[in-house]
Amino acid sequence: MADTLLTIALVLIALSIVFGILRLILGHTTVDRVIAIDLLTVVSIAIIALYAHYAGRFIYLDVALVYGLLSFLGVLAVARFLEKGL
Amino acid sequence: MIEILMIILCTGILVSGILAVRLDSLVGAVVSAGLASLFASVTYVILAAPDVAMTEASIGSALSTAIFLYALRRTREDD
Repeated sequence: MADTLLTIALVLIALSIVFGILRLILGHTTVDRVIAIDLLTVVSIAIIALYAHYAGRFIYLDVALVYGLLSFLGVLAVARFLEKGL
Repeated sequence: MIEILMIILCTGILVSGILAVRLDSLVGAVVSAGLASLFASVTYVILAAPDVAMTEASIGSALSTAIFLYALRRTREDD
């Protein structure tokens, strides 16, 4: 049961990465690329949490926590740049 | 299972590196360089180096993107 759920989660994460990178390549405007980066950040946090369970080393969840606290800074910097505030 | 994930992540690093060089928009190039750093950080976690991953996440993805955009704002007034 747990293995089935982990496999489904891995497939969904792989599809999210592929479609996020496609949006990054095909993106017409800068805002499309920023949204793709935000999606891939959330997906990366999911990968780290999934791997923490898969490897059985729960110290990796701290990395996911730090990443979740810091990951909005890049999107915030790009948003301030586009609004000419940086 | 993890090998498939590693292949996808390394392909993502490669694609975002190529995009960071080839894109015409400078903001798009900076964002793509941040994505390469993001995927490198996840790769460090899978390679069992969580402290390196934490440093890469804070400096490479957040701080260097902000510094690049600040330099871009200071050097070019129109973009």
